[in-house]
Amino acid sequence: MNNNYYIDSKQLGIFLNRLNDNFRVFVPAVKEEEGSKEPDYFYKNLSDNQDLVFNPYRSVEPLKSFFTSPQERISTYFTAKSIIETPAKTVIFGLKNCDLVGHKIQDFVFLEGVEKDTLYRLKRENTIFISGDCTDFKEVCHCLAWNIMPYPKEGFDINISPLNDGFLLEVGSEKGWQLIQQFKEYFILAKEAQIATRRLKRESLVERLKNHLDPQNLVPKDKVQEIVKSGYDADTWQQFMLTCVECGGCNLICDTCHCFLIDDVKEKNQNAKVRVWDSCLYANYARVAGGANPLKLRKQRLRNRFMKKFDFFVENLGMPACCGCGRCIEVCPGKIDIREVLKDLAKKAGSKQ
Amino acid sequence: MKNIYKPIEATIEDIIDETPNIKTFVLKPREPFEFKTGQFIELTLPGIGEAPFTPSSDPNVKEKIDVTIMNVGRVTSLLHNVSKNTLVGIRGPYGKGYPTDEFAGKEILIVGGGVGLAPLRSLLLSLFAQIDQYKKVVLRYGARTPSDILYKELIPQWSKKKKVNVVTTVDVGEKSWKGHVGLVTTILEDLPIKLNNAVSIVCGPPIMMKFVTLKLLDLGFKPENIYLSMEKNMSCGLGKCGHCRLGKFYVCKDGPVFSYEQLQDVRDIWD
Repeated sequence: MNNNYYIDSKQLGIFLNRLNDNFRVFVPAVKEEEGSKEPDYFYKNLSDNQDLVFNPYRSVEPLKSFFTSPQERISTYFTAKSIIETPAKTVIFGLKNCDLVGHKIQDFVFLEGVEKDTLYRLKRENTIFISGDCTDFKEVCHCLAWNIMPYPKEGFDINISPLNDGFLLEVGSEKGWQLIQQFKEYFILAKEAQIATRRLKRESLVERLKNHLDPQNLVPKDKVQEIVKSGYDADTWQQFMLTCVECGGCNLICDTCHCFLIDDVKEKNQNAKVRVWDSCLYANYARVAGGANPLKLRKQRLRNRFMKKFDFFVENLGMPACCGCGRCIEVCPGKIDIREVLKDLAKKAGSKQ
Repeated sequence: MKNIYKPIEATIEDIIDETPNIKTFVLKPREPFEFKTGQFIELTLPGIGEAPFTPSSDPNVKEKIDVTIMNVGRVTSLLHNVSKNTLVGIRGPYGKGYPTDEFAGKEILIVGGGVGLAPLRSLLLSLFAQIDQYKKVVLRYGARTPSDILYKELIPQWSKKKKVNVVTTVDVGEKSWKGHVGLVTTILEDLPIKLNNAVSIVCGPPIMMKFVTLKLLDLGFKPENIYLSMEKNMSCGLGKCGHCRLGKFYVCKDGPVFSYEQLQDVRDIWD
């Protein structure tokens, strides 16, 4: 069955505006810093008749920020009524494959295990993912090192690929299919030639990205667990932590990092539990009552971040918790580069043998 | 719809002073609440904060839960200042608890240190309730000083029970103390148990657990027969918040009780 459609650019704008009647629609907006070679994209609520921006690579914000918040109320208690509000129906436009792959970690944490997180599940059920192929990349992008393609294969409801004056749409889920049905006047069944062109465009970007990444000699996916484990006692952690200012930026902006702390607050007529994003680079992250702290030193905390990503998640989910988006590299005021840390560990692991 | 973070109400029915800095809180939940020995709960001081504790009472007693708490941190110091009838919240129970089914027909060595006797009291009471199923229960308990000994009235009662053998020690004695003086590892010699049919359960401060585990291994216990209650800063209790990671495990959902066999390859478990 052909589940590919063509839509021209203008019509896509109209389609999203129509969606705006029933959904909160988030679209990328460009923010060009003076002197920057790479403009940044941030999500914004779609406003009426706004020109649609197609982001060539991922946005600044991680996808998780639509599902959990830096600080949010997760429960009230000891009150007569305490209901979970149904979250607003939402469409996110402009997601990239790194976002979708990274989000598997969030889904694993909040939708599987001992119990499902109802708040997360409801948001997830009420959100539609419209992803897009990458048509360019940032210097920090390194998805291919983890065998993640710069275009999505799964995990989206609809994926779009720029093509001439319009876009090719691929339907990836029942939710996506229903949307297409509902607004079928905007879509034309795609032709074989269009699908072939999409393939060529994808291949050409992969080629360009490869040329960018090959000289970097990045650690490959199938070796990374072994490398971080054998580097447990390496001086890499000491060396790289020297510029860490414990801001937690790398964790907070990471699409896979999910740690949070639950706190209690008093509100007017009730008590509430609040969930706050936490960072394993914070000094008190692992501290227990009485003051003992298994992650007392910065180098231990930096190592913890890597062990969690490249050992824990490989053991428990079969994939590393890094999607190669490079957000942590861009955000770090200490210029700690996840690629360089792994390369240094690999170098030291190699020289030990 | 179920909210996994929402605590149920419980009233503090009684508060028992155990030591200068440890109290037992007797909680009466307003909804049915059951736990298995060794599982833990998150106890909420409304609007103030919550912290993880393993109940110290017999899990067969359904209507009340005892929690023995040392005054060490923000939440516990505030808890130590509340009065009877205070409303608190509980959520859980979380984790796997002690595998008491696997102990059937065995000699059970229980080694406790300090406030670590609290979860072990729950274990002891549930073992006593079915004592026919076990060969023997041997308790070795160490506290810092005689006044730091938990359950001072209960321990002599336990030691009078059939099939139960108890020795207590203190790190530092005082004039009236007639018992053992020395770390808990010093009362692990000449244990009245047969190693080939014994399991051991250890709970106490990390440094104590480390040296007791080394001692037990030295005595000939196999790693799979040493059970440890690991302490971490569990926040959610459900394997989501990330805080209690121990190697490939989360203490909250894969523990808090682990066999040493599970942990022996994990780095820095005693930190």
